[in-house]
Amino acid sequence: MERSKSRYAEALKLVRKILTQLKEVWQYSDSQPTEITLAGALAVLFPIATYLEIGYAPIIQMPAIVAGLYQLYCVSGDCINCRVRASFITFCFYAVGAVLYLYKGYYWQGASYWGWILLTFSSFGSLKRIKKEQLHRNNG
Amino acid sequence: MDNTTQIVITAITLLGSAGIWKYAEARLRVKAELKKEEKSESDTVLYRDDLKKRVEEMDVALKEANKELLALTEKVAKLETENTFLRREIDILKSK
Repeated sequence: MERSKSRYAEALKLVRKILTQLKEVWQYSDSQPTEITLAGALAVLFPIATYLEIGYAPIIQMPAIVAGLYQLYCVSGDCINCRVRASFITFCFYAVGAVLYLYKGYYWQGASYWGWILLTFSSFGSLKRIKKEQLHRNNG
Repeated sequence: MDNTTQIVITAITLLGSAGIWKYAEARLRVKAELKKEEKSESDTVLYRDDLKKRVEEMDVALKEANKELLALTEKVAKLETENTFLRREIDILKSK
Protein backbone atom coordinates (compact mmCIF):
# COMPACT_ATOMS: atom_id res chain seq x y z
CA MET A 1 0.00 0.00 0.00
CA GLU A 2 2.79 2.39 1.03
CA ARG A 3 4.80 1.47 -2.02
CA SER A 4 1.97 2.17 -4.41
CA LYS A 5 1.36 5.51 -2.68
CA SER A 6 4.97 6.57 -3.14
CA ARG A 7 4.88 5.46 -6.76
CA TYR A 8 1.73 7.48 -7.29
CA ALA A 9 3.38 10.52 -5.68
CA GLU A 10 6.45 10.10 -7.88
CA ALA A 11 4.33 9.83 -11.01
CA LEU A 12 2.40 12.92 -9.99
CA LYS A 13 5.65 14.79 -9.40
CA LEU A 14 6.94 13.75 -12.83
CA VAL A 15 3.72 14.86 -14.54
CA ARG A 16 3.90 18.23 -12.74
CA LYS A 17 7.52 18.66 -13.79
CA ILE A 18 6.70 17.85 -17.42
CA LEU A 19 3.76 20.26 -17.40
CA THR A 20 5.88 23.05 -15.89
CA GLN A 21 8.59 22.50 -18.49
CA LEU A 22 6.06 22.44 -21.31
CA LYS A 23 4.59 25.69 -20.00
CA GLU A 24 8.08 27.26 -19.92
CA VAL A 25 8.82 26.09 -23.47
CA TRP A 26 5.41 27.33 -24.64
CA GLN A 27 5.96 30.74 -23.09
CA TYR A 28 9.61 31.43 -23.81
CA SER A 29 10.87 29.30 -26.69
CA ASP A 30 11.84 30.82 -30.03
CA SER A 31 8.67 31.37 -32.00
CA GLN A 32 10.10 31.98 -35.48
CA PRO A 33 9.48 28.41 -36.76
CA THR A 34 5.86 28.59 -35.54
CA GLU A 35 5.46 32.00 -37.13
CA ILE A 36 6.80 30.74 -40.45
CA THR A 37 4.48 27.73 -40.35
CA LEU A 38 1.46 29.87 -39.47
CA ALA A 39 2.33 32.44 -42.12
CA GLY A 40 2.83 29.76 -44.78
CA ALA A 41 -0.46 28.10 -43.87
CA LEU A 42 -2.23 31.47 -43.96
CA ALA A 43 -0.84 32.38 -47.36
CA VAL A 44 -1.41 28.97 -48.99
CA LEU A 45 -3.66 26.66 -47.00
CA PHE A 46 -6.16 29.19 -45.68
CA PRO A 47 -7.38 30.60 -49.03
CA ILE A 48 -7.54 27.16 -50.68
CA ALA A 49 -9.28 25.45 -47.78
CA THR A 50 -11.81 28.22 -47.22
CA TYR A 51 -12.48 28.46 -50.97
CA LEU A 52 -13.14 24.72 -51.24
CA GLU A 53 -15.16 24.36 -48.04
CA ILE A 54 -16.87 27.70 -47.48
CA GLY A 55 -16.92 29.15 -50.95
CA TYR A 56 -15.60 32.25 -52.63
CA ALA A 57 -14.98 34.92 -49.98
CA PRO A 58 -12.69 37.55 -51.50
CA ILE A 59 -12.71 39.85 -48.46
CA ILE A 60 -11.07 37.08 -46.43
CA GLN A 61 -9.13 34.97 -48.93
CA MET A 62 -7.30 37.71 -50.83
CA PRO A 63 -6.02 39.66 -47.80
CA ALA A 64 -5.07 36.35 -46.12
CA ILE A 65 -2.42 35.75 -48.80
CA VAL A 66 -1.05 39.26 -48.29
CA ALA A 67 -1.10 38.85 -44.49
CA GLY A 68 0.76 35.53 -44.71
CA LEU A 69 3.40 37.00 -46.97
CA TYR A 70 3.68 40.06 -44.73
CA GLN A 71 4.38 37.85 -41.71
CA LEU A 72 7.04 35.94 -43.63
CA TYR A 73 8.62 39.27 -44.55
CA CYS A 74 8.55 40.39 -40.89
CA VAL A 75 10.10 37.15 -39.61
CA SER A 76 12.87 37.42 -42.17
CA GLY A 77 13.55 41.03 -41.15
CA ASP A 78 13.65 40.25 -37.39
CA CYS A 79 11.91 43.55 -36.53
CA ILE A 80 10.03 42.83 -33.32
CA ASN A 81 7.35 45.52 -33.77
CA CYS A 82 6.65 44.30 -37.29
CA ARG A 83 6.43 40.72 -36.03
CA VAL A 84 3.93 41.66 -33.32
CA ARG A 85 1.78 43.48 -35.88
CA ALA A 86 1.94 40.63 -38.40
CA SER A 87 1.19 38.01 -35.73
CA PHE A 88 -1.85 39.97 -34.58
CA ILE A 89 -3.14 40.11 -38.17
CA THR A 90 -2.52 36.37 -38.59
CA PHE A 91 -4.36 35.65 -35.34
CA CYS A 92 -7.32 37.73 -36.57
CA PHE A 93 -7.47 35.78 -39.83
CA TYR A 94 -7.38 32.42 -38.09
CA ALA A 95 -10.05 33.62 -35.67
CA VAL A 96 -12.22 34.69 -38.61
CA GLY A 97 -11.65 31.30 -40.23
CA ALA A 98 -12.58 29.47 -37.03
CA VAL A 99 -15.76 31.53 -36.63
CA LEU A 100 -16.74 30.96 -40.27
CA TYR A 101 -16.39 27.21 -39.81
CA LEU A 102 -18.43 27.48 -36.63
CA TYR A 103 -21.10 29.47 -38.47
CA LYS A 104 -21.22 26.78 -41.16
CA GLY A 105 -21.54 24.09 -38.48
CA TYR A 106 -18.55 22.11 -39.69
CA TYR A 107 -17.23 21.36 -36.20
CA TRP A 108 -20.05 18.88 -35.64
CA GLN A 109 -19.41 17.16 -38.97
CA GLY A 110 -15.83 16.09 -38.41
CA ALA A 111 -12.99 16.48 -35.93
CA SER A 112 -10.51 17.45 -38.65
CA TYR A 113 -12.17 20.89 -38.84
CA TRP A 114 -11.08 21.54 -35.24
CA GLY A 115 -7.66 22.21 -36.69
CA TRP A 116 -8.83 25.78 -37.28
CA ILE A 117 -9.35 26.20 -33.55
CA LEU A 118 -5.90 24.75 -32.97
CA LEU A 119 -4.41 27.20 -35.47
CA THR A 120 -6.22 30.09 -33.77
CA PHE A 121 -4.83 29.10 -30.35
CA SER A 122 -1.41 28.52 -31.84
CA SER A 123 -1.36 31.95 -33.48
CA PHE A 124 -2.56 33.57 -30.25
CA GLY A 125 0.18 31.78 -28.27
CA SER A 126 2.75 32.88 -30.81
CA LEU A 127 1.48 36.47 -30.61
CA LYS A 128 1.75 36.42 -26.81
CA ARG A 129 5.29 35.05 -26.95
CA ILE A 130 6.46 37.77 -29.34
CA LYS A 131 4.77 40.47 -27.27
CA LYS A 132 6.57 39.17 -24.18
CA GLU A 133 9.84 39.28 -26.08
CA GLN A 134 9.09 42.86 -27.16
CA LEU A 135 8.32 43.93 -23.58
CA HIS A 136 11.44 42.17 -22.35
CA ARG A 137 13.57 43.98 -24.95
CA ASN A 138 11.99 47.35 -24.11
CA ASN A 139 12.37 46.91 -20.35
CA GLY A 140 15.97 45.77 -20.73
CA MET B 1 -22.67 32.25 -47.82
CA ASP B 2 -23.55 35.71 -49.09
CA ASN B 3 -21.27 38.71 -48.96
CA THR B 4 -23.17 40.54 -46.21
CA THR B 5 -22.90 37.57 -43.85
CA GLN B 6 -19.21 37.28 -44.59
CA ILE B 7 -18.65 40.96 -43.85
CA VAL B 8 -20.69 40.87 -40.65
CA ILE B 9 -18.96 37.73 -39.35
CA THR B 10 -15.54 39.10 -40.26
CA ALA B 11 -16.23 42.46 -38.61
CA ILE B 12 -17.58 40.91 -35.42
CA THR B 13 -14.70 38.42 -35.19
CA LEU B 14 -12.13 41.13 -35.84
CA LEU B 15 -13.58 43.30 -33.09
CA GLY B 16 -13.70 40.32 -30.74
CA SER B 17 -10.12 39.33 -31.55
CA ALA B 18 -8.91 42.88 -31.08
CA GLY B 19 -10.69 43.06 -27.72
CA ILE B 20 -9.22 39.76 -26.55
CA TRP B 21 -5.77 40.87 -27.63
CA LYS B 22 -6.10 44.27 -25.92
CA TYR B 23 -6.98 42.52 -22.68
CA ALA B 24 -4.13 39.99 -23.02
CA GLU B 25 -1.69 42.74 -23.95
CA ALA B 26 -2.66 44.83 -20.91
CA ARG B 27 -2.15 41.80 -18.65
CA LEU B 28 1.26 41.12 -20.17
CA ARG B 29 2.23 44.77 -19.70
CA VAL B 30 1.20 44.76 -16.03
CA LYS B 31 3.10 41.53 -15.43
CA ALA B 32 6.20 42.92 -17.14
CA GLU B 33 6.00 46.11 -15.06
CA LEU B 34 5.65 44.12 -11.84
CA LYS B 35 8.63 41.98 -12.79
CA LYS B 36 10.67 45.08 -13.54
CA GLU B 37 9.76 46.65 -10.18
CA GLU B 38 10.59 43.43 -8.34
CA LYS B 39 13.89 43.30 -10.13
CA SER B 40 14.76 46.90 -9.30
CA GLU B 41 13.87 46.42 -5.62
CA SER B 42 15.82 43.23 -5.07
CA ASP B 43 18.78 43.24 -2.63
CA THR B 44 21.31 42.27 -5.28
CA VAL B 45 20.35 45.19 -7.50
CA LEU B 46 20.37 47.63 -4.56
CA TYR B 47 23.81 46.36 -3.51
CA ARG B 48 25.08 46.70 -7.09
CA ASP B 49 23.73 50.24 -7.38
CA ASP B 50 25.33 51.15 -4.04
CA LEU B 51 28.66 49.75 -5.21
CA LYS B 52 28.41 51.67 -8.48
CA LYS B 53 27.74 54.89 -6.58
CA ARG B 54 30.68 54.31 -4.28
CA VAL B 55 33.03 53.55 -7.18
CA GLU B 56 31.95 56.79 -8.88
CA GLU B 57 32.55 58.79 -5.67
CA MET B 58 35.95 57.19 -5.18
CA ASP B 59 36.88 57.94 -8.76
CA VAL B 60 36.09 61.64 -8.26
CA ALA B 61 38.03 61.69 -4.97
CA LEU B 62 41.04 60.02 -6.63
CA LYS B 63 41.12 62.62 -9.41
CA GLU B 64 40.98 65.47 -6.85
CA ALA B 65 43.72 63.86 -4.78
CA ASN B 66 45.90 63.55 -7.89
CA LYS B 67 45.44 67.26 -8.61
CA GLU B 68 46.35 68.18 -5.02
CA LEU B 69 49.40 65.92 -5.17
CA LEU B 70 50.55 67.62 -8.35
CA ALA B 71 50.13 71.07 -6.76
CA LEU B 72 52.07 69.97 -3.68
CA THR B 73 54.91 68.55 -5.79
CA GLU B 74 55.09 71.86 -7.63
CA LYS B 75 55.25 73.79 -4.34
CA VAL B 76 57.97 71.52 -2.96
CA ALA B 77 60.04 72.02 -6.12
CA LYS B 78 59.65 75.79 -5.82
CA LEU B 79 60.61 75.76 -2.15
CA GLU B 80 63.64 73.59 -2.88
CA THR B 81 64.86 76.06 -5.48
CA GLU B 82 64.23 78.97 -3.15
CA ASN B 83 66.05 77.17 -0.40
CA THR B 84 69.08 76.57 -2.62
CA PHE B 85 69.27 80.26 -3.54
CA LEU B 86 68.85 81.34 0.09
CA ARG B 87 71.62 78.99 1.20
CA ARG B 88 73.86 80.42 -1.47
CA GLU B 89 73.08 83.97 -0.34
CA ILE B 90 73.80 83.02 3.28
CA ASP B 91 77.12 81.55 2.22
CA ILE B 92 78.00 84.76 0.33
CA LEU B 93 77.02 86.92 3.29
CA LYS B 94 79.03 84.74 5.67
CA SER B 95 82.09 84.94 3.49
CA LYS B 96 81.92 88.76 3.49
